[in-house]
Parts: sequence; C-alpha cells; structure tokens
Amino acid sequence: MRLVLFCLATILASPLAAAVGSPAEPPYFAEAVAAGKLPPVEDRVPDPPLVVEMDRGRTIGRHGGTLNILMARSKDVRQMVVYGYARLVRYGRDYEIAPDILKDVEIEDGRIFTLHLRPGHRWSDGAPFTTEDFRYWWEDVANNPKLSPSGPQIQLRIDGELPTVEIIDKTTIRFSWSRPNPKFLPALASASPLYIYRPAHYLKQFHARYTDETKLNELAKEMGQRNWAALHNKTDSLYKNDNMDLPSLQPWVNSTRMPADRFTFVRNPYFHRVDAEGRQLPYIDRVVMQVASAKIIPAKTGTGESDLQARYLRFDNYTFLKQNEERNGFRTLLWRDGKGSHMTLYPNLNAQDPVWRALFRDVRFRRALSLAIDRNEVNQVIYYGLALASQNTVLPSSPLFRETYQKAWTQFDLEQANRLLDEVGLTQRNSEGLRLLPDGRAAEIVIETAGESTEQTDILSFVRDSWRKIGIKLYSKPSQRELVRNRIYSGESLMSIWEGLENGLPAANTIPEELAPTHQIQYQWPKWGQYIETGGRSGEPADLEEPKQLLALLDEWYKAGDRARREEIWHRMLAIWTDQLFTIGIVSGAMQPVVVNARLRNVPEDGMYTWDPGAHFGIYGPDTFWFDT
Amino acid sequence: MLRYTVHRLLVMVPTLLAVSALVFVIIQLPPGDYFTSYINELQSEGESVSAERIEFLRQQYGFDRSPVEQYFVWLAGLLRGDFGYSFEYSLPVSDVIGDRILLTFIVSFATIVFTWIVSFVIGTYSAVYQYSFGDYALSFLGFIGLATPNFLFALVLLWIANVYFGTSIGGLMEPEYLDQPWSWGKAMSVLEHLWIPVVVIGTSGTAGMIRRLRANLLDELHKQYVVTARAKGLHPFRILIKYPLRVALNPFIADIGNLLPQVISGAAIVSVVLSLPTTGPMLLRALQSQDMYLAGSFLMVLALLTVVGTLVSDLALAVLDPRIRLGGGMQK
Repeated sequence: MRLVLFCLATILASPLAAAVGSPAEPPYFAEAVAAGKLPPVEDRVPDPPLVVEMDRGRTIGRHGGTLNILMARSKDVRQMVVYGYARLVRYGRDYEIAPDILKDVEIEDGRIFTLHLRPGHRWSDGAPFTTEDFRYWWEDVANNPKLSPSGPQIQLRIDGELPTVEIIDKTTIRFSWSRPNPKFLPALASASPLYIYRPAHYLKQFHARYTDETKLNELAKEMGQRNWAALHNKTDSLYKNDNMDLPSLQPWVNSTRMPADRFTFVRNPYFHRVDAEGRQLPYIDRVVMQVASAKIIPAKTGTGESDLQARYLRFDNYTFLKQNEERNGFRTLLWRDGKGSHMTLYPNLNAQDPVWRALFRDVRFRRALSLAIDRNEVNQVIYYGLALASQNTVLPSSPLFRETYQKAWTQFDLEQANRLLDEVGLTQRNSEGLRLLPDGRAAEIVIETAGESTEQTDILSFVRDSWRKIGIKLYSKPSQRELVRNRIYSGESLMSIWEGLENGLPAANTIPEELAPTHQIQYQWPKWGQYIETGGRSGEPADLEEPKQLLALLDEWYKAGDRARREEIWHRMLAIWTDQLFTIGIVSGAMQPVVVNARLRNVPEDGMYTWDPGAHFGIYGPDTFWFDT
Repeated sequence: MLRYTVHRLLVMVPTLLAVSALVFVIIQLPPGDYFTSYINELQSEGESVSAERIEFLRQQYGFDRSPVEQYFVWLAGLLRGDFGYSFEYSLPVSDVIGDRILLTFIVSFATIVFTWIVSFVIGTYSAVYQYSFGDYALSFLGFIGLATPNFLFALVLLWIANVYFGTSIGGLMEPEYLDQPWSWGKAMSVLEHLWIPVVVIGTSGTAGMIRRLRANLLDELHKQYVVTARAKGLHPFRILIKYPLRVALNPFIADIGNLLPQVISGAAIVSVVLSLPTTGPMLLRALQSQDMYLAGSFLMVLALLTVVGTLVSDLALAVLDPRIRLGGGMQK
C-alpha cells in the first residue's frame, strides 16, 4: 500500500490527494470498506492506475448518481461494454491508440508487441488480473479445437501465420509475428474488441481441462446446453456481457440475470482509472438500462426517462425532443455521424447485364451520374441544411482529409453531365427523351432499397427528378435487406443505395481496406471483394485497372513499416478513389441527436457518433461523466 | 355430454399438429436463417464475425439438417415440454417466455372482461331503447372505437396519461418496479398502466359485441312470450332479466372462441406500440430475427391457448344452452 501511495504521489504531483479517507474513496463503497468487506481504494486500484486528465473543457466531478438509459433489446447489455470502453489499448480523442488497461506496449518493427500489465490490477471480483488470464485464453480457449474450431481469430493471422506467444512474467507477455501486423492494436481497441484474455479463475470451472468432463456435461445438460464447450462459450461472454457472474474490467458491471427488462450495472470496485485528484472512476455509481421497444424510445426519451441517449434516436425526432427539453430537464445535442457518407449510390460493377456493366465500368458514366445530383437541394430539404454535400470519402475531422476528396464531382452541372453521356456514346433518345442503350433499350435503372426507412426513397425521389434531365430514368423499389443484398452479390441488382465507408475518420495507421475490393459487402464490386475475402475460392478477380492498383497499394501499405509511408499510400489510394468515383456519395456528416440530462457534465457539445473508432460514447469516457446538483 | 367432450378433445390433437406444421413452414419461408440475420445485424453496426464461426454455430444448433428433420426434432421436443433454444437470448425458450405468457394472460383476461362489461351494458340499453338518442350515441361511440386504428388510439391515450397523470410512457409498470418481486405497489403500478392497453384493445371488440347482443335481444323482445308476460303485468325490468336476456346471452359465451385470437393478435400490435412486456413484441422480434424456436414455440403456446379457450367456451355454451348440447349429440 505504501508503494501505491508513493506511485500515486509521484504521478499526481499532489502528494496528499490520495490520502486515506480522502474523496478518492467512492461513498458507494464507504460502508463496505469500513466494515472490512472491501479493501480501501488505494489497495483496489492497480499501481500505477490510469490517471485521466480532464482536458478539452472537462471538469473534475463528484461521485454518485444513477444514469438511466434505454435500449431496445435485452441483448443490448453489450452496449455497456461499448460505452464503458475499457480496453487493453484504446483510441484517444485524437484517434491515436494509447494504453488503457495495459501500462505500456512496446512495439518492435510493427511485428513484436510486448504488453505490460499494471501490477496489482484486479478483476471486478477482486481476483488478480495477470498474464495467466492471457495464457488461459491462448492455450485453453483460442487453441482448443472444441471451443474455437476455427482457431484463433482472424486479426491474429498475417497471411495465415499465428503469433508466437511468450509469457515473460506475471505482468509481461509478448506476441510476435515474422512480419508486421497492423491489425493487432486496432482490433484490441475496437468497439467490439478482440479479447486476448479471459478471467481464467472463473472460467476454469467450466473447462474440461480443469474440471471433470462428465460432471461438466451433466451441468451443461441442466443449463440446456449441448456439451461443456457450449456451456463454456455461453458463460464466456466478455463482450455480450450477459453473464452477471463473469468478472469484468469495465467501469460498470452487470448485476442482473437474464432474461430481464431492466438491467442494473454497478460500479466496478477495482476499476483502474482515477482522476487527477485520485478519485476512482467512474463518477456515476449505477447505470440502469431499461428495455423498451425501439419505436417508443424517442417518446420515452422525450419525457425525460433517459439521462443519456443516442441509440434509437433519429434525426427526425429532433424537433420533438427539442420541444420537450424544458419540461423534462434535458438538452438535445447534435453530433455528427462518422461514416464516410450518410447516403451513397453504388453502381454494381459486377452487374450481370453486360450492357449496363460496361456502362458502369466507364468512369465518364459514373461522373455524369454524380454531376446530375442536386446535393444542395437534398441537404436543405431532408437535413435542414445541416449535412454536408460530399462524396463518399474521409470526413473533415480525419487527418487525411483534403477538400478535393470531398468536393470532386459534387457540383450540380447538368450540362457537363449531358456532355459526358454524349461522349460515352448514348446519343440516341426515344420519344420520352430517354437515352437509349447501345442495344436499343431505354436507360432505366431500378434501385432497390432495404425498405427500412423512407429516408432512402425520399433521397431517391430527388435523384430521380434530376437524372430525368440527363435522359436517365430511375425507379426505386423498396424490398427487404437480405433480398437486396443477395441480389447485389449475384449481380442481379444494377445499383443500390446505402451508407458509405464504415470509417470516415481514418488515420495513416488505419488499414485502407475499404478503398480496395476486399469484402463482398462492398456493393460496388461484390464479386471482386468476395474473391479476396475467400482467398480465391469464389467470386471473380478484379479485371479493371484501377481496382487492381488499389489492391496493390493496399498490399504495399501492409508492408510499409513507418507512418509517413503509410500516409503517402493512403493519399495515393484516396486520389484514385476520388478520381474514379466507384461510389457516388450524396451527403455526409448527417446529424445524430444526443439527449443529455441537464445536470450531466463532461458530455461534449459536439462529438462524433461513430462505432469504430469511437465506440459511440466510449471514446468520450462515460466513466468521467458526472451529475451536478 | 361426455362423448361430446371427448370428441372435442380428440379433435384438438390433429388441429394442433396441423398448426405446428404450418407454423414451422411459415417461419422457414423467408430466405436465410437466424444466423444470416444475425450477421446482417452485426454488419449494419460495423461489427464483423467470421464465416467459420457462423458455420460452427450452424452445426452446433443443427441448422445443417434438412427442414423436415428439424421439424421433427422440434416437435419431439415440444411433446416432452422442451420448447427448444432461443438464439437471440442464448437461453432455453421456456426461461424466456414464462413471465410474458402470464402478463399476456392478464392483459387478455382484463380486456375480455372490459369488453363484456361495456358491451353488456350498452347492448342491453340500446336494444331496450331502440332508436332512441342514447342508442344512436352509444352505437356511434362503439363504432368509433372499432374504426380508430388501435395504434393511433394507443398513442393518444399514452400522451394523455403521461401529461395529465404522469404515467411513464409504455410498459406495464413504472420502470423501478421492473426487477422487483410482486408487491402491493407493483400491482397498483400495473393497474395504473393496464387500462390503456385494455381500453385500446377492448374498444375494437366492443362494437361487434354490442351489435350482436342488441340484435339478439331485439329478436327476443318482440316474441310472444314477452308480450304475454307484459300483458300479465310483470315488471318490464324483471321480464328483461328473467327471459330475453338469458337467451340473448349465448353470443357472449360463444364469442370467447372468436374473441381470444382477436385479442391476442390485436394485442400484438398494441403491445409493440405500448412496449408491453407481453408476448406480442417478443414474437415480432423473434420473427424478424428468425429466432425460429422462440417464434415457433410462442405461436404454439398461443395456438394451444386459443384452442383450449374455444373448447371452454363451447363446453360452457353446451352447459348453458340445452339446444346446443342436444343438437351436438344428435348429429353424431
């Protein structure tokens, strides 16, 4: 304990801050500590703890209070792992990766990662968190054929190669590959992270290596599971967060057994973060999550039943929420959506129809389609002018942003669009004024929508009006998400509308795989993506020059060791992406309403509402949010 | 009477079997299965999950077998009282639906009682005072209830309850009681919330019931025995209670069979709007995510309840009205 005090003192520069009986001890535990049921806070936090600087206008808070939130399904308990955002390493507000649960990470050549744990770190049940938890995961979970039939997760493989894992001592562990693995740290810091540790002391009771297998199988039958492996997998739910007995490292720990409609999360007595005055975080004692149907959540939020809500609120709820602010004591903030684009058109370069396919592969045709969209009108009418007319690309808050990426081919210029289409050779028109395809059909494009919101069809009706002026007719057809997706994959669908790049805030160290054909879910080239994704077992290899270049650049990026080189490759890829316009972005940076209790402090006024990196509220540290009186 | 009962009981078996097959086929109809919708959901939130892992899960839960095989495995489970496994909750189905069935039962029962009371009073009044102002006004009200879309009515009542009585939006109780054991306060809180769904679901059923009772009663009121009774100087109210009303009561009992499915399916929509912890929203969600055993078992339980409800109403009717009892016997 003396050592803890000493370390805290050296870090804090204010030696008395962590003194016994000081504000450091959350009142929530005062009684348990006084009764000797719980060690005092100095013995609970690791040495050294993570000291959170209250920068960017945040203030030091006070302990206490209950945060109410609303979720639509009991499965959403995992959102508390997202909001809690305690990770081995995490993204800071600058979107750079920094140690969190780990004291430090040493990286050699981007391929050898030495992780240092915080000495004295404990699980929420008080058991020590050591490299034994990593060993258990690696030997007994990830490499156990019954628990993980496909072996360790994909982020741990570089061209199929698995890391060498060395346990050096109780707090040091090393992962090494023969080549750089740029996926490793981002995976650890992700909103839905790669877990490379498990609470071994708890899970061993469900593992056949440590507990009698026949007894375990009996227990599994009792719990309605097939065998011990299924039972282990069910109890081992660090991310799903649905097992209240499973120890945790998050700021709040689930204390409600499934199934339920109301979940209470209580503060983790062993949480590793403290504020600059030594107060153990989180400030808020309890989080109560109520489950209500998604449709009613905006209404419930409007009556003040949630203290912090963004999920299940949509932009069109904004006026209703604003109207109820005063009566129910909350504020409605607008955060920006962090996707590369809020709505984007995807011409299918793998369309089955040979005539359309040839047209879509002609960059002039894609540019003409883009020029013939009045983005300003869409923005004004549907988003009250609060969104940005933009291509599907990196957002202004990304360090890689350049205005040309955003603005290219976004001006509304029917004349140039018509000229481009004439150049392509679509000069014939029918009596309606529609251009004729080379085989004599009229140029009519059907865009299938997922049919989940009217937003897509609303936007398409604007696009339809202006495309009509360049002699192309658009039909929108509401369908169902899975059907649409399968039709895109098979090339039956000509064009689709969906959100743009998943990560609109990349930095040089983010893998630029979204810009190259790497996944089937990339609607502009599903078959090329599938080819890479399956290692050539299905799909088609890319047969167009620019996508091939993008793939080659991606490969170069993986091999590049240093940041400057990676940044250069990013810009080369973005230049091709911008010039070639494989996807046609309409608007980006749409607004996400965020309702915040008027007394809740440290919630940023203008944040980014993003999944990864960002973890929704996670990156803004809900453990530092506090209630003012 | 015994033969009638046994016959009715035996008929239930093939009915339920047919329902189970139908339910299973319908659940299997949409493309994909639980895991494809699960992947879609993860992807729409930017998460990813490896194809190998999904394949592993599919095998674990027997999705690689043929649909016919899957059906019989499920059916065999049902007969043993094992409802299967909910993927969405990763729990056995019986653990998930227990509470909800009870609350659904409470809501449905309260609704039926509400429908009965309202339509009994209004129906009798409007038959006795046919073509009076009261008849028109009350019938009008009943039809308004029938014609207003349930969800709209529910939203209006919710808003009124919240603004004027401070009732929390949605649910069947104040949030703080959700994880508490039953107590006086909790029961009161349930009552405070219960009236909205009961009124909303109930009003859509009352109009029909009112009209049926009114028509039946009017038929009886003009029969000769009523005229005779009047001529003999019996008090009109006593006549009404003693004779025509008893005859006209048949639809009340007979309608339980009709009312039950109506209440349960009507309740589904209203429950989704009101976010009630009943079976409706969970069933809808299970169907959307193709959590097939949860959805299937739900539908089976509801089918069973309806079939039993119909049986009870038929038996009650047979007890009440000898004509039906004897007619039923003669036809065999």
